Amino acid sequence: MLLEQIINGITLGSIYAIVALGFTLVFGVLGIINMAHGEIFMIGAFIGVLITSVFGLPLWIAFLAAIGVTAILGYMLERIALRPLRGKQGVSHLAPLISTIGVSILLENLSHHIFGAGNHPFRHSFAQIQFQVGSITIYLVQILIFAISITLMVVLSYWLSKTKAGKALRATAENLETASLLGVNTKRTITTTVILASALGGIAGILVGMAFNSVNPQMGLSMGLKGLAIIILGGMGNVKGAMAGGLLLGLTETMIVAYGDSGYRDAIAFITIIFILLLRPQGIFGKNTAEAGR
Amino acid sequence: MRNSLKKVYLLISVLMVVMLAACGEDNTNTSNASENSGGPVSAKIGVISYMTGPGAAYGEAITNGFNLALDEINEKGDVKIELVIEDSAGKQDQAMTVAQKLMSSDDIVALLGPTLSTEMNVVGPEADINGIPIMGTSTTAAGIPQIGEYVFRNSIPESLAIPAALEKAVNKYGVKKVAILYGNDDLFTQSGFDTMKAEAEKMGLEIVTIETFQKGQSDYNAQLTKIKDLQPDLILASALYNEGAVIMDQARKMGIDLPFVGGNGFNSPQVIEIAGEASDGLIVATPWFGEKDDPKVQEFVKKYESAYGHKPDQFAAQAYDALYIMAEGLKNAGEADRDALRDALAEIKDLDGILGKFSFDEDGDVIMEPTVLIIKDGAFQQFE
Amino acid sequence: MLGVILNPYHLQIVSFILINIILGISIYITLSSGQLSLGNAGFMGIGAYTSALLTINFDLPIFLGIILGAVVAGVFGILIGIPALRLSGVYLAIATLGFGEVIRVIFVNWESITQGSIGLSGIPHMGRELFKTFSLTGFDPDMLGLKNNQFIYLLVVLTLLLVNILLIWFFIRQNKSRVGRAFAAIKMDEKAAESMGINITYYKVLSFTQGAILAGFAGALYAHVMAYISPADFAYHRAVDILIFSIFGGSELIWGAIFGATFMTILPEALRFISDYRYMIYGVVLIAMMAFRPQGIIDVSLLNWFKKKLKLKRGGSLGIRTKKYN
Repeated sequence: MLLEQIINGITLGSIYAIVALGFTLVFGVLGIINMAHGEIFMIGAFIGVLITSVFGLPLWIAFLAAIGVTAILGYMLERIALRPLRGKQGVSHLAPLISTIGVSILLENLSHHIFGAGNHPFRHSFAQIQFQVGSITIYLVQILIFAISITLMVVLSYWLSKTKAGKALRATAENLETASLLGVNTKRTITTTVILASALGGIAGILVGMAFNSVNPQMGLSMGLKGLAIIILGGMGNVKGAMAGGLLLGLTETMIVAYGDSGYRDAIAFITIIFILLLRPQGIFGKNTAEAGR
Repeated sequence: MRNSLKKVYLLISVLMVVMLAACGEDNTNTSNASENSGGPVSAKIGVISYMTGPGAAYGEAITNGFNLALDEINEKGDVKIELVIEDSAGKQDQAMTVAQKLMSSDDIVALLGPTLSTEMNVVGPEADINGIPIMGTSTTAAGIPQIGEYVFRNSIPESLAIPAALEKAVNKYGVKKVAILYGNDDLFTQSGFDTMKAEAEKMGLEIVTIETFQKGQSDYNAQLTKIKDLQPDLILASALYNEGAVIMDQARKMGIDLPFVGGNGFNSPQVIEIAGEASDGLIVATPWFGEKDDPKVQEFVKKYESAYGHKPDQFAAQAYDALYIMAEGLKNAGEADRDALRDALAEIKDLDGILGKFSFDEDGDVIMEPTVLIIKDGAFQQFE
Repeated sequence: MLGVILNPYHLQIVSFILINIILGISIYITLSSGQLSLGNAGFMGIGAYTSALLTINFDLPIFLGIILGAVVAGVFGILIGIPALRLSGVYLAIATLGFGEVIRVIFVNWESITQGSIGLSGIPHMGRELFKTFSLTGFDPDMLGLKNNQFIYLLVVLTLLLVNILLIWFFIRQNKSRVGRAFAAIKMDEKAAESMGINITYYKVLSFTQGAILAGFAGALYAHVMAYISPADFAYHRAVDILIFSIFGGSELIWGAIFGATFMTILPEALRFISDYRYMIYGVVLIAMMAFRPQGIIDVSLLNWFKKKLKLKRGGSLGIRTKKYN
């Protein structure tokens, strides 16, 4: 049973990690907590259901469509909810947080109206492929999710540290004005980041749909809050921290259910938020800087 | 300073009065056709229903059921009923406000609804104090008719449905060990769980584990893996069909082939739609079985389908019967009076409806024999 | 006459407005020192459960229960407020959001005390208890031409109105005092305020705790007006509701929170067809307010404009007394 639970935990944790990567990218560059990320993730999952179950198209089209739609959503999020606030006089640093909360409520209730409150099954033959190892059943989807999350983390780390675009992004994160003086097109960099992060959310959405066969409008909120807990755990803006934090949370939640009281499963993420923030605001894997948590 | 303070107060109070006036206009039209001797009793009945928001589907089925019954009753002409339908959006405070709105209008003699037990817990006591009969058609949690003597319901409570289903399942499969899984952040599923646990203990079954889940959760693998490892003979799942269907799907994928026993909220054709083959083996008790070999039932199903384009569920059926119960009460009371109607309702015995023979007990709760169903080959069938 | 005007339905809405105003002020007061708390739904829950449990289990008088509810919420406010000093802005918002959710999960799971999601019913109703007291003195609402339930809700509304007036008066006074100026200074620039000798720790914890007390107080009132509470009443959506009151109405002035709470409570009632789209509208409001009018509908300049207009009408007889309203 332990082995099975570990597999469950890793699957869940890998999904958390992909969601958290999107969070951490936006935070790393803009210093903004994007509360709408969970809802963009949910929309990605719905697009997957629509393409495969309703239109009966192959899975790779579903992936492309979900990435496309969430990328557009990311662009709109940046244009409508974030850009108007940037550089405006007298706007408090809380404004982007409130404005993304607005986007999240809007998206959640919009999909309520469009798709209904119910669960939508994600039926696809790919999700049925399984291996039998002893008494344990492993699904190909589970392996795929883990592989995708690792790949994304490696690619993102490489991209951020080695490529020109990545360097521009880090420069923007460091200091927006200096970066723009040095010839970085900061506007484009920021837009790219939000789009990239949203597309990551879309990928995570499809993966969740396939792994758990359940897509509903409420899933964004709980997943968004979990993602939030993870980036706080792993250190804001830290790509490897997001991955480690995601796996840690996934495994902890699974183990609490397996050996403890499943009623407190959801509380773990929130207790983590409170304790990490109060005791070690830079996160477990974060560097100890004076500005952390400020 | 004090003056400007006053100004702002004035501004706000003017605003408030204007807007309040806007929301109160519609219920001022006094009824013209109240209680006249000789002719049939005519009465207005208020309906509080969950028509917008996540559970709007329940409210829709319920109002459809009412409207279907309304046309038939008025056509028959023993009593003339008019329905005033208000939306509660599934929220306690809104249910309370619309209840106040309906109750404060004197020509409304009774209330039907609200949809959720949480709402009834708020509205029930208020209706009781104001002396207006209120009947829930979908409120199944424990303790509702006990709120007061004006509070009734015609939906069978979990304490009737779950034991019936459990008993049959235990006898059929020789069950000794059960695992319980329930949603602990919902009144409906929590109250179902309380009944399940009490009933399992009463029957001397061993409860190997009790697991919970929360709304919006999509991953039940951890709980199910634990249950699988403990090898129960049966899984008791107090879940709404939405979560319940996903749970069954994930369980079957994991290789758990055990039968599931569910409560009222699990009982829906939607389970089959969401979970497909994985839903085989779900056992529920219900007052409503659409395939029943009864001309009354078949006529209702036919009528409902032609009017609304899909098959009625138990919510529609219960609402349909509820209005007939009200009509019977009004007929017996002989006048459109709240107290007379309450007394007449309490007297109702063995009224024939599409759900079977119906009576109230001394609390205003249902006395009825539920049917036990099982999903087999993708359809509900009678479970023997 | 009175009996015709006083519709219990309207009284009910007014009582919700009055409770929401207190909630609006609770978030305004923490915002006035530059802190955003998303945990006010949690504090509200603490107040509601404390008061409900005390009055149900120990037969405490309601007003004592409500006060204790506010006090307990305040104690939690201090407990959270002190360590939260290390956090600023966004981090505080997230930590308090986490706090609110933890509180809700505890309400759900601590079944032996809170009855889990079944909720607590049979909470003594404020109006009905007051009515009983009035009946003892031989008073009959018929004397005023009122029905019993009209009178009950009238009592509730009057009590809440009195409480509201006292609270608003208190916070307007406070805003003009040393405390209010300290809050404003901290909101403007924490470091500058510190260098001017303002005790940041004290004032930040004070404003956070005041917000917690108010939220707990409103929660306790809510419990005794609804007579039934469940954990779902204090979930994330409630926190967003409360946030909307202040953000929409205006977060710079106490009138903003009051206006926001009033408007946002009446809106879905007045336009019932809107209630379906309520949260969608909330979302749009939040985005639009941040983009176009981050200070909310009512701000200092709007208020000054109003004052000027009034002054002109009165020929400026009010003189220079109306200055600085913050």
